Amino acid sequence: MSFHIEAITVLLNGLQQGAIYILLAVGLSIILGTLKFVNFAHGALYLIGTYAGLLIALEVNLTSGQLQAWGFGQLGLGLGYIPALLIVPFVVFVVGLAMERWVVEPFKNRPDTDQILVTFGLAIIVQELFRAFFGSSSLPFSQPSWAQGPPQVPFLAAIPISSWRYYVIGITAVLVLIVYLLVEFTDFGLVVRAGTRDPEMVELLGIRLSRPYIVVFGIGAALAGVAGVVGGPLNPVNPTIGNEILVPAFLTVVIGGVGSIAGAVLGGVLFGVTQAVLVATYSAWAQVGLYAIAAIVLLVRPQGLLGEAEVAP
Amino acid sequence: MSLLDVDAVDAYYGESHILRDLSLTVEEGEVCALLGRNGAGKTTTLRSISGAKPPEVRDGTVRFKGDDITGLPADDVAMQGISLVPEERRVFANLTVEENLRIAEVSRNTSNTWRRPRTATGQSMSTEQVYEDFPRLGERKTQKAGTLSGGEQQMLAIARALKQSTDLLLLDEPYEGLAPKIVEDVEAAIERISDQGVTILLVEQNAAAAIKIADRAYVVDQGAVVFDGSATELRDDDETRERYLGV
Repeated sequence: MSFHIEAITVLLNGLQQGAIYILLAVGLSIILGTLKFVNFAHGALYLIGTYAGLLIALEVNLTSGQLQAWGFGQLGLGLGYIPALLIVPFVVFVVGLAMERWVVEPFKNRPDTDQILVTFGLAIIVQELFRAFFGSSSLPFSQPSWAQGPPQVPFLAAIPISSWRYYVIGITAVLVLIVYLLVEFTDFGLVVRAGTRDPEMVELLGIRLSRPYIVVFGIGAALAGVAGVVGGPLNPVNPTIGNEILVPAFLTVVIGGVGSIAGAVLGGVLFGVTQAVLVATYSAWAQVGLYAIAAIVLLVRPQGLLGEAEVAP
Repeated sequence: MSLLDVDAVDAYYGESHILRDLSLTVEEGEVCALLGRNGAGKTTTLRSISGAKPPEVRDGTVRFKGDDITGLPADDVAMQGISLVPEERRVFANLTVEENLRIAEVSRNTSNTWRRPRTATGQSMSTEQVYEDFPRLGERKTQKAGTLSGGEQQMLAIARALKQSTDLLLLDEPYEGLAPKIVEDVEAAIERISDQGVTILLVEQNAAAAIKIADRAYVVDQGAVVFDGSATELRDDDETRERYLGV
């Protein structure tokens, strides 16, 4: 493979991995910016998205876990990938609303450490429940047959990247654009932006913030769910994937700047591409290099690349 | 019945007794001034009305249009027609002038009013009216509010409050940190708003400026009312002014 084909492959792989981080980071970031809530259970929403997507799209044979022991080893609706992509966001949106109501709301005015402990605990509970029911072993979640090879268009056909990865990038771009338009051009977005800055002043204008905020959490959850569906077929599917993706997702947020959608996108692209380049060149040092870069960014700009230095009183 | 009736309120932050048996009323259509030195209890009085960072009211009631609003959260107080122009203005610096005005209208959306008590009856100012009364804001409507001068931000904060359905306008230190020339502009704006029939409670340290436009005044010291009378009476009462206001 010639050098430039290889370089483009690495770059596109990085963009695709970055897209997954972006889907998670946009939600995390607006939740952190508005509700001031640190959600360490965001990875659990990704996990739920992946399993829900798998069970809607395909039929699977469980080889371990409680469900198999009970005789429900054959699971899944087998409806295909498109229905999965359409249904999962709604499912995880509802999960998000429930989580906001029963986990976030009671801990909203508690210290960050309490929020981290309770959500991290929740993340582990979800992970272990999935392990108990579906088993520890990785489940087969292949890329759809219609998206396995490179797209049959000039130029891209020569690059060994499956169409699915392009879909991941495209879906991410569309969803982030929708969220951006929502935040910039609707009354809902107006309240979200003002609330990021000075929530008490928004309330003094008669606006009950708990209403838009539960929707913010639901949207963040839905995006994490989509990340699970599109990311699922690219990695082994097992109960630990949620917590594994949490750290890069959070780093994407802090590198980009809390509360900034553009920041989450920039952070995700940087993080994904850097990771891909490091893996392709000095793979043994990839993790070290990645976190070192994150640390340097935060040393130089503690508020993140596109974050604002100052938060409202 | 007074529009606002703060009746014998004792308020605490933690164990600090801040307001002591404080009573005041605001009548419909007037400009009422609440004066006193820094730390006298003016801001706490406002907070116990507006519901933002409220003190704990252990005794007494706050009534608005006859309804008990003691301890109501800030968003519910606003829905009854009390609009606040807060200390330091607190315009949304990251939003444009236009958006700062538009967000005040969002409170009337069904998604916000659904299953919530709302008794505000006051007119809300139209955006055209705002730009007519405050031409500077019209000129800068697409600019971020953070880029405005202090005086312009004060005008924006007042206009934003008036975009709500306003029965009572609370002004918290509207002259603070403004150049004398700008103070005059703000004064003129407040008088114009009053002439349009809006009831105003004006909280100020700058007593001289407040007395000029007020009908009535209260002076508070150490959390209690020490003077209650017409603005003219206060102007003539040298002892009270010197002792509690330092002017």
